[in-house]
Amino acid sequence: MNDQCLKNGNNLNLYFDNAATSWPKPETVYKAPEAQMRQACGNPGRSGHTRTLETDRLLYTVREAVAGLFNVKNPARIVFTLNATDALNIAIKGILKPGDHVLHTAIDHNSVLRPLGKLRRNGIVSVDTVPCDLEGCPDIDFLSTAFRANTCLLIINHASNVTGTIAPLEEMVRMAHGHGVNVLVDAAQTAGSIAIDAESIGIDMLAFTGHKGLLGPTGTGGLYVREGIYLDSLREGGTGSQSEMDIHPESMPERLEAGTLNSSGLAGLLEGIRFIENTGITNIREDEIEIRKYLYNAIKDIDGIKLYGPEESEKCSCLVSFTIDNADSGEVGYILESSYGILCRTGLHCAPLAHKAFNTFPAGTVRLSPGFFTGKTDIDYLVNALQEIKSLT
Amino acid sequence: MAYSCYITFPTTYFAIRAESLLKKEAYSFKMVPVPRSISSSCGTALRCECKDLSALKEFLLQNELELEAYYKLEEIGLRVPNVEELHFDE
Repeated sequence: MNDQCLKNGNNLNLYFDNAATSWPKPETVYKAPEAQMRQACGNPGRSGHTRTLETDRLLYTVREAVAGLFNVKNPARIVFTLNATDALNIAIKGILKPGDHVLHTAIDHNSVLRPLGKLRRNGIVSVDTVPCDLEGCPDIDFLSTAFRANTCLLIINHASNVTGTIAPLEEMVRMAHGHGVNVLVDAAQTAGSIAIDAESIGIDMLAFTGHKGLLGPTGTGGLYVREGIYLDSLREGGTGSQSEMDIHPESMPERLEAGTLNSSGLAGLLEGIRFIENTGITNIREDEIEIRKYLYNAIKDIDGIKLYGPEESEKCSCLVSFTIDNADSGEVGYILESSYGILCRTGLHCAPLAHKAFNTFPAGTVRLSPGFFTGKTDIDYLVNALQEIKSLT
Repeated sequence: MAYSCYITFPTTYFAIRAESLLKKEAYSFKMVPVPRSISSSCGTALRCECKDLSALKEFLLQNELELEAYYKLEEIGLRVPNVEELHFDE
């Protein structure tokens, strides 16, 4: 485990916002996009010259790497997107038809709630929300009775971005498949940090972002769509293929990839995935569990701080959410940065239903999300800051 | 008269996958822009000697690649060549 303090020298700027976007990135992630733009910048799938082919080869390699990470046999089923929100929109709006019923969980992010809200308000689909308990775990008993004859899709947030709580993915997928319902998994908070075997679990669609646990640049992400699922395309446009026709090509992955891809960003994502492969995702997970335990145990002893989410770090991703009695969460975040140089996130974290379940709506929480590069001395400094802030209340 | 043969693909993904798999074998081939006299979904085609076409095709199909079509073209420089689309009994 590295130590952010040492890594950043005397520049005290401690980053505890990895659930929003990971930082720092591996050195290779910074360098790859520049090298790609300088040396091999061709438009993939278009011109047929050397640079185009080099970029085509890069995208092929990234697709293979992503497929390998999620144990997907056919890389053509991996579609590159702007981020997880983009992937979720492509999946949700591509699979749902008028009259369909959708199930999703209360810990979902707005990237799920808002597309569903729009479809529901427009009278296209009906939606039921699976409630979650005070720790953020979806209510399995509720789910077992929630399937209807017209239920088409169950959306599962693999881990809450508010409490980190990991959903019982395998069990929920089994239940959905028992009713002939497809499952879309939002892996925004887990891809790269927690191993996901998409084909063994039987995940039908998996949305991920490149700039969090996968350690890549923003503007990268993707969607896995299993063989046999046909998504209506959200947008159509240039692919460099079948240019004589005004019909977008049917073959995957191009069917869901209109327009020039972010090849320089994907060059960075490839290096992020390589870093994860070389480090070992199990090692990353073990490190993050250890650092989360250290953080949680240090904070839970501070009088007047209320923690949300599971105590057991094995049950959640690497974050801790809390409130301080009689203190505004936003103000706590402001003092953490202005007085201590600690960067975190405060508020609703784009997940309003989760906060309603935790009775932290609309005030929200302070969320600390360390990462693989966070050291225990960073946490010691943070805990000291929290004790001082608490003494002000 | 000299000829070359071409394999075309439904998407760039399969063209690059073909290249990636064939590079590991001893086949002689080149990835080239699709000649305008050929109709193809993907802008990149595989060019090979016609005597190798059948073996290349079999290898790629065994590896579950999606192939679009096969062509035989006269090698006559910049002039538009005569094109023969080849069909195989599957």
